[in-house]
Amino acid sequence: MTIDVLLQWLRGPVFWAGLAFLVLGLGRHVAITLWGIVRTWNRAGDKTIPVRQVVRASLGWMFLTQGLKNRLLFGLNTLIFHIAVILVPIFLAGHIALWKQSLGFGWPALPNGLSTALTIIAVIAAVTIVIQRIVFKASRKLSRFQDFAMPLIVAIPFATGFLVMHPAWNPFSHQFMLFLHVMSGDLLLFLIPLTKISHMVLLPGTQIISELAWHFPPESGRRVGEALGKANEPI
Amino acid sequence: MLNRLTILKSFLWASVGVLAAVSMVRFTRGLGAVTNLSDVSPWGLWIGFDVMAGVALAAGGFVMAATVYIFGLEKYRSCVRPAILTALLGYFAVAVGLLYDLGLPWNIWHPMIYWQHHSVLFEVAVCVMLYLTVLSLEFAPVVLEHPLFGRPIFQRFLKFLRKITIPLVIAGIVLSTLHQSSLGSLFLISPARLHPLWYSSIIYIFYFISAIGLGLMMVVLEGLLTSWFFDHKVRKDLLPGMGIAASVVLWFYVILRLGDLTLRGDLGLAFDGSWQSFLFFFELGMAAILPATLLLFRRVRSSITGMAICAGLTILGMIGYRLDMSIVAFARPEGWGYFPSWAEIAVSVGIVSCCILVFIFFVEHLKVYDEPAHVKPGKPSHDAATLHDLMPSEQASPRRYSLVALMAAVAALFFLPVSGAEPVRTPVSTPRMVEGFSVARQAGDFHALEMCEPGDRPLSAESPIPLFAINGNRNETLVLFNHAGHVDREGGDDSCRLCHHLDLPYDLNSACFECHRDMYEPVSLFDHTLHVQKLNGNDGCTECHPDGREVKDSETSTACVECHLNPEATSVIIKRPDPRWQDAPGYMDAMHDLCVTCHKRRAREEPGRFADLLERCDACHDADYGPMLEEMAPVRNTSRLIVQNGDGH
Repeated sequence: MTIDVLLQWLRGPVFWAGLAFLVLGLGRHVAITLWGIVRTWNRAGDKTIPVRQVVRASLGWMFLTQGLKNRLLFGLNTLIFHIAVILVPIFLAGHIALWKQSLGFGWPALPNGLSTALTIIAVIAAVTIVIQRIVFKASRKLSRFQDFAMPLIVAIPFATGFLVMHPAWNPFSHQFMLFLHVMSGDLLLFLIPLTKISHMVLLPGTQIISELAWHFPPESGRRVGEALGKANEPI
Repeated sequence: MLNRLTILKSFLWASVGVLAAVSMVRFTRGLGAVTNLSDVSPWGLWIGFDVMAGVALAAGGFVMAATVYIFGLEKYRSCVRPAILTALLGYFAVAVGLLYDLGLPWNIWHPMIYWQHHSVLFEVAVCVMLYLTVLSLEFAPVVLEHPLFGRPIFQRFLKFLRKITIPLVIAGIVLSTLHQSSLGSLFLISPARLHPLWYSSIIYIFYFISAIGLGLMMVVLEGLLTSWFFDHKVRKDLLPGMGIAASVVLWFYVILRLGDLTLRGDLGLAFDGSWQSFLFFFELGMAAILPATLLLFRRVRSSITGMAICAGLTILGMIGYRLDMSIVAFARPEGWGYFPSWAEIAVSVGIVSCCILVFIFFVEHLKVYDEPAHVKPGKPSHDAATLHDLMPSEQASPRRYSLVALMAAVAALFFLPVSGAEPVRTPVSTPRMVEGFSVARQAGDFHALEMCEPGDRPLSAESPIPLFAINGNRNETLVLFNHAGHVDREGGDDSCRLCHHLDLPYDLNSACFECHRDMYEPVSLFDHTLHVQKLNGNDGCTECHPDGREVKDSETSTACVECHLNPEATSVIIKRPDPRWQDAPGYMDAMHDLCVTCHKRRAREEPGRFADLLERCDACHDADYGPMLEEMAPVRNTSRLIVQNGDGH
């Protein structure tokens, strides 16, 4: 099997299956979360939700004003990383050309120079995010394996994409680098709904969920104990 | 949490996920993309299993309704509701299965408006539609008993439905009798294609009797399975009665089939040692002889295992009978065998899974069985390792099942042709040389070509000339082409460039088939990997992609003609190719484009010389095929061809 056949497979069935998994998997997350919110609200003892506060907090976390206030450098680095990671895959001229081939329509692209710059920024920011996570004790203690791994995995398609676009820098063959690029991109499609990257759709709901958690009736803790058969033990 | 029912439901949801993926491809890309069906085998698994066997498996509904409401055997009342639910779901499965199988599924309503009262299929369609309505009304009371429908309007409807139970049951029996048998009658149209061991002029009686036996056994098996999955008590007192009834019906079926064979004088075929004779006995033995014999023993009839085995045998055997009729024993031309694709099997399994899930839902939420389906509330266990155990089942189940279905759907997508079936490649072979004659036709200057037949040569006065036999796909029709004659007429060596419009590197006047390599499909001329190799890998990119800031596609790359010097014709008849050589059209299109365009032009320039002969199909194709070619020729926009050459209209 030549690498061309493998590439064809990765760009065909694997990509479509991955895209379907991404869309449906994220849709599943949203549906389950919404349903959970409604369910929790129905059971809440106190149904007055401070809507304005929740909306402000949600927006604050979504647009990182909260994070910037807490730790400026970490926050800025994350902000730049997100901008690059969101813009480049969607608005890269080469990607839009591929969409145009299969869908029949495209959309305005970023200038290639800007895309290149953002790609390099994304790779550097991903690495520094991991370094920052390791350096700061509090974030190190709070991190799971995927918190370290995911930024680096996200950086792979960006690094390989840069080498595909700039053959003079590419120490390997063009086909092989394209293979790595497409494969890591496909892999991400499958990983997004299964890892923390699903925060791309779940983030707007987190504030309302933690708000609702405070609205359970006062005696609900004892009921949990009852349900577990540990009614008289301290929780 | 991980009990029998959860495992069963997980499997069913996975099948539904696969069904969803296959459905998407089937309804966007057509039957050819997912099935092994063909013009020779238009009826496959979906008809054989979903429709033929599906209708028969649903026969329990009318059998049990008749038993209780008409014959008054009140003892079996508890079996009526599940039997009617099975029938209802079974018929829905038939309708849905039919939607998958119809080439134009949106026309499924046609039999309602366009009545073809000579057609057996019309009768089946109408009966199935009406019976589906009857079954819905028969089952509606079970739904309306739910507290959700406590409103007076629903309750009044419920009271009305209860009043018309007997007429509904009678209508159900009549409709079932009609179409259970007519499904068999469908095969009366094909006595030549169905093997004589299965073909009979009374197929419809076999179908009806076998459906009764199958329906009874289906009620038995689903009762046993439900009690196993839901921890119900088995109604052991009902088993012997149903067993003996099934035995009688199955014996009757065996005697009818063997008796019919004997009377027709075809019984010998069952013992001639052919694979059909083995299949016949295997199927008849499994469906009827073996279970009917076993059921004669009291010990088998009153044991749960015994009844389950007999019911399983009958059900599998009768499904086999339907499949044999519509697929296995149905003759096809040599080399045109049929075996369902995995996607076809997935659709059949998926539809059945959907039905079982709905059945389970109704059993859990409605009073289908007398005994309530007790879903154990179950205390959540506190175990940090299994976080999901803390979740109540009504919250954990949707998570589990949606994930299972999603994973299964995506896994199926890997193996499905999402962008449609791959075009079949038909490689083109080079023209061969033959000897022949140029024969003057009645009008003007037009000459037809004829190949030398054996023995021609001594009789003919003139010496034969060499001709091209153009036959790209090597089928039985070929076109004779007088290459030398065309060279002479069009101006000798200078005329090559009129037709040979593009040369391969290091070649001159490349032949048509060297670029137009597929008979029908366009073929790409450009090999990127080859160019990368020839241009020293990554260093050579800028040769074709000079501006690194541009998207690297064919439009922004260096044109082919800038490196491959002067391979193009200047005075070509057809449109000049793009300087960036794109796909070469299929061989047939290319030849028609070239020859027909020029012939039309010549005929227009000198109308008196060729009359209209030059423009016709049989100018090149054998005259015997002429009328056929004209009928079968795809509609071609001829004005487009002329405009392309700048001649205008």
